[in-house]
Formats: sequence, structure tokens, C-alpha cells
Amino acid sequence: MARITAGVATSHVPLLGVGIDQGKMDDPYFKPIYEGYEWSKKWIAEEKPDVIILVYNDHASAFDMNLIPTFAIGCADEFQPADEGWGPRPVPPVKNHADMAWHIAQSLILDEFDMTIINQMDVDHGLTVPLSLLYGQPEAWPVKVIPLAVNVVTYPPPSGNRCWMLGEAIARAVESFEEDLNVQIWGTGGMSHQLQGPRAGLINAEWDQKFLDDLTADPERLRHIPHIEYLRETGSEGIEMVMWLIMRGALGPNIKELHRHFHVPASNTAVGHIVLEKEA
Amino acid sequence: MSQDIHEYLAEFDDIPGTRVYTTKRARAGYWLNQFAMSLMKAENRKKWLADEAAYLEDWPMTDEQKQAVLDRDYNRLLDLGGNIYFLAKIFSTDGLSFVQAVSTMSGMSEEDYKAMMMAGGRSPEGLRSIKEGR
Repeated sequence: MARITAGVATSHVPLLGVGIDQGKMDDPYFKPIYEGYEWSKKWIAEEKPDVIILVYNDHASAFDMNLIPTFAIGCADEFQPADEGWGPRPVPPVKNHADMAWHIAQSLILDEFDMTIINQMDVDHGLTVPLSLLYGQPEAWPVKVIPLAVNVVTYPPPSGNRCWMLGEAIARAVESFEEDLNVQIWGTGGMSHQLQGPRAGLINAEWDQKFLDDLTADPERLRHIPHIEYLRETGSEGIEMVMWLIMRGALGPNIKELHRHFHVPASNTAVGHIVLEKEA
Repeated sequence: MSQDIHEYLAEFDDIPGTRVYTTKRARAGYWLNQFAMSLMKAENRKKWLADEAAYLEDWPMTDEQKQAVLDRDYNRLLDLGGNIYFLAKIFSTDGLSFVQAVSTMSGMSEEDYKAMMMAGGRSPEGLRSIKEGR
């Protein structure tokens, strides 16, 4: 049977993709950011997950204002890196485990989560930057990826609690998939940042650190943080952190923090990263 | 645990210097954002760069929206229903990074804005709530 073994969360700042693509890993601006991923790169090389369910948001790349799905799951065999306005990132295409993706889609719908199913879709930095941070620059990604896109752009996005419950339903769906697979779930985006208006540049390191703490110490608190608190405390784009709660909800009650990294700034953003292991 | 939508939305106006991208803004900014989205295609970027005003002729946007685009007045564009991820297509076509473009909305010079980010970013102190002044 398939099983979720671990969860990863990371910011997906586009600049972090640029730094890798342009070979600026040792640049003084970037070095302290990438160093925080060294442990995780070694860890994932040993863990060798078969499949990652990668929760992210599209940034006006695959979805324009015509379609705004709250929760969408990619079910095609393959997804190309998106041209976000300056040419696609030089990264490999993302290969899906399409049988499993369709299985998860149908299971979630039966479990009362009314998913949007997507076949043709390019994937933007929200999905590819986390892969680059953990896997570097391989010829082909050594893992299958099921994209799960969440609307966190047009308000209201889903509540933290709804995200948590979706995570729980994803865990049930994975457990009922017959193939023997090591599955990870990743939540991406965040941490505090605001990309718009006179308040742009807002960072709240204290709030972010507490959020990282409470992924293990008090996840119930995180689950019930209202949107207005994300907006006031973490900036208008900090709301992306609800996606981390899908990851956290899928891991269940018994988890251990293996690694953490926090750095300000990358571009306009506080970078947060955590690795959580599911205990048997 | 259902929440009153009017109370939910009213709180957004209490955040200093922030335009939350609500459905009302999404409706007002539909064509503005769709125009911006068209700049994802290299051929469209070429046409846009050749004659911006002519390119805008084809889009059913308001005159105010068109003028704010030509002026690259991003705060105004947010007021008129623009969303930052869509507006990013405009400033990317101009060759600006997120930091450069975002700094223009903050009322700071690019250098001062970058220095603020390097020093840990803008503190939320006093910028959480207009009413409560915290």
C-alpha cells in the first residue's frame, strides 16, 4: 500500500529559482539561503520518495481570471515549466504518477472534497522552485510529482481548517492506493511577505517562528488562524501558509521535526523551510 | 463554523497600506488582469513594446485603467482591480524584478527599500490595524 512518510514545507520565492538557474549559489546574498537546504538535500537523497504530492499555488501562469479553482489536482502524465513572462525555467518537465493522481481525485470527491481536475497545465515557480531547492539541477526529476494547486490569490482562499481537513482526506486517499509507494506531501509558499501597496516589504519573523514551532507544538492553533490574522501579521501574501496546513493535516498526530531553516530576506520574502517525519 | 461575509470583508479595509484582492476587485479588474496576462506570450510582448497605447485599444478596460498602465502607477492599478501576480507580467516585460517593482508602491527609493529588506523587512508594528492603531 502507498504510505505518507514525511512532510516538507518551503517558501517558493521565484528569485530562489533564478539563483539556482544562474549559478549564483555561492553569491553572498544567496549562500545563507541555500545552505539551509543542504541537510534536506542529503535527507531526500536517502529517503528517495517515489511520489510527492506538491501543494502550491499558481501565480497567474496556468490560471488567469477566467478560472479560479479553489483546489485543483493535476492528473496528466506530464507538466511543462511555465513561461512566466521571461521564458520557462531551464528545469526538466514534471512527471506525474497519473494513476495515483486520478485515484486521489476520485477518493477526495467521494470524501466530499469537490476537486477540480486538470490535465493540460504548465507549472510555475510555485511548484518548480521547491523541487530545485531539494533536488538541485538533475537531468530529470528523480520523483513523480502530483501537483495540487490552491487558490490563495482571489479572496476568499480556503480556510486553514478546510486545508487541514483536505490534508486528512489526502492521507486517507493515499492509504487506499494499492501500489507500494513511499509518498511525501509538501506544502509551499510563505512565510511572511507583502508584495503590494505602501505596506509592501512587511516581515514578521516572530510570528513566522511561532508558526514553525506550532507545526509540532500546537497544530490545533494553526488550524484555526483566521485569514485576517495572516493579513495583518504576515502581509497580504503570507496567506500562502494555509497551504502548509494541507501538508500538516495529512501527517496525522505523531510527527517529529527533523530540520528547520529560516532566513530574511529573499527578494521581498521571509524564507521558511521545515522537514517533518511521520512517526509510526 | 460559517462566517458572516460582510464582517469578513469589512476587516480588510482596516489594514494600513494594503488592498486585499476581493471578488469586487477581481470583477472590476477582470480585463486589466487579462490584458496583463496576454504579456505572457513573447509575440504579444513584442507588439506591446512596439506601441503600448495601440495594444491597449484592443482591451475593454476603462480609460483610468489604461492610463494607470501607461503610467506604471501600481498602487492605482491595485485600486482599479489589478492583482500583483497579473501586474507582474507588465513589470517583467519592462525588465523589472519583483523588488524593483514592489518598491515603487512603498513610497521608498529602490535602494532604501532594498536596505530595509536586508535589515529584516518592514516591521508590522503599528501597521496591523488602522482602528486599533497597533
